[in-house]
Amino acid sequence: MSKVMEQWLSSAPEWILEGPEWLNSLLYKLFKCFIYDERYMMLIKGLKNTIILTFFALLIGLALGVIVSLIRFTWDRQHAEMKGSGKVILGIANAISRIYLTVIRGTPVVVQIMIMFFVIFASSRNKILVGCLSFGINSGAYVAEIIRGGILSIDGGQMEAGRSLGFGYVSTMRYIILPQAFKNVLPSLVNEFIVLLKETAVVGYIGLADLTYAGNTIGGNTYEYLYPLLAVALVYLAIVMILTWLLGKLERRLRSSER
Amino acid sequence: MKDDIIIRAEDVKKYYNGGEIKALDGVTAEVGRGEVVVVIGPSGSGKSTFLRCLNLLETPTGGHIYFEGTDITARNVNINLHRQRMGMVFQHFNLFPNMTVLRNMTIAPMKLLKKSKAEAEERAMGLLKRVGLEDRADAYPQQLSGGQKQRIAIVRALCMEPEVMLFDEPTSALDPEMVGEVLDVMKNLAVAGMTMVVVTHEMGFAREVGSRVIFMDEGHIVEENTPEQIFSNPGSDRLKQFLAKVL
Repeated sequence: MSKVMEQWLSSAPEWILEGPEWLNSLLYKLFKCFIYDERYMMLIKGLKNTIILTFFALLIGLALGVIVSLIRFTWDRQHAEMKGSGKVILGIANAISRIYLTVIRGTPVVVQIMIMFFVIFASSRNKILVGCLSFGINSGAYVAEIIRGGILSIDGGQMEAGRSLGFGYVSTMRYIILPQAFKNVLPSLVNEFIVLLKETAVVGYIGLADLTYAGNTIGGNTYEYLYPLLAVALVYLAIVMILTWLLGKLERRLRSSER
Repeated sequence: MKDDIIIRAEDVKKYYNGGEIKALDGVTAEVGRGEVVVVIGPSGSGKSTFLRCLNLLETPTGGHIYFEGTDITARNVNINLHRQRMGMVFQHFNLFPNMTVLRNMTIAPMKLLKKSKAEAEERAMGLLKRVGLEDRADAYPQQLSGGQKQRIAIVRALCMEPEVMLFDEPTSALDPEMVGEVLDVMKNLAVAGMTMVVVTHEMGFAREVGSRVIFMDEGHIVEENTPEQIFSNPGSDRLKQFLAKVL
């Protein structure tokens, strides 16, 4: 008799063991997948890694996205009127941004993370850091285009009004354009956040034990894939539903100021 | 001309498409302290472009703009500091829709003039009272009528305590019954001694409030005179034609 079965028979209450066969078998499988050997801890640790990855990738992605979108927008709008070294610097920054957008959006994230881990940071064993960086850089490209769309959606008169009051270009962006643009793109940004959360599941390719990886490992150890993978799916679903609910509340609060 | 000149535009040109379109083709004009200069002319005559060149919202292709004696078209000039002293009112109001009326009015004085919140709000409320909108301080622009929006846009610019106010067709986007309330505010401002440059189609306002009228056509100043002379004794055929159509 296997160790799992031994422990199950010794710890399960009588009424279950003597109960109907299907209930007995279901609870035994759940015991094997989650309780025995504290296997649920794998899921919790995996979830922790998934959340760390998503959170820091989101921060990096937002920062990169704002910077790249501002470079692209400013270049498109202003380069005809610019002169001197400022134009050269912005031109180079714009060219780099375009290459960044093309490469990152043109290749699969799983290839990017493998290149990052096995080639660029081959000497580093810090998988979580490489993971955050890779997903952050990947997300930044999508966030950049979302935010650029948001800035483009703001009427040109807003920039003129800000400038006519004496705000500089950067201050007008910061105090007047970006707050409005951000509000307009909030649903798209949260969507990108949701995509990012689920995309981190491919981090298993570099052997980082995230939520998906944990579910897969439990499946491999127990030959019982249904319950661990179902549990993993439910956790992702729960997080996404909570995020959607929070967004709804935030959006209603932002919009209420207008009507 | 008067000694006390606030703005002097010297041979200002604005070309598009490398000179193919000449929106402004050498315009020279002066605005003295306390004057109300009204710019009239058919659409496409360059009057709005001229006004927008005065605070460099449009960068002139050639010529110079002097504001309080400084050539603001020079390269090393910080235009932001000069714009703080030139208020501007737009045809489409351009209020900040995500801010309350009070915030619209206080953000620039607080961020740029480093005024305290209390100080900025006190001035804003005083101005709101002057235009009869003190009860709308906490409203958002969407909740206001067009005339109310434009009155707020005027006092928003006044919050920066400018030396001169530029008006770019301030009543053209308004329903007819709201034009009067905005013109009244502008009239009071003129009476209080504010220097104003007004691009408008309101000939009544030009005649009544203007201290000088500039008639522009095809990027040139065709005629420049007192309102009485412009309206009752037009010199050029082009002005006669224009007045025949609009009066």
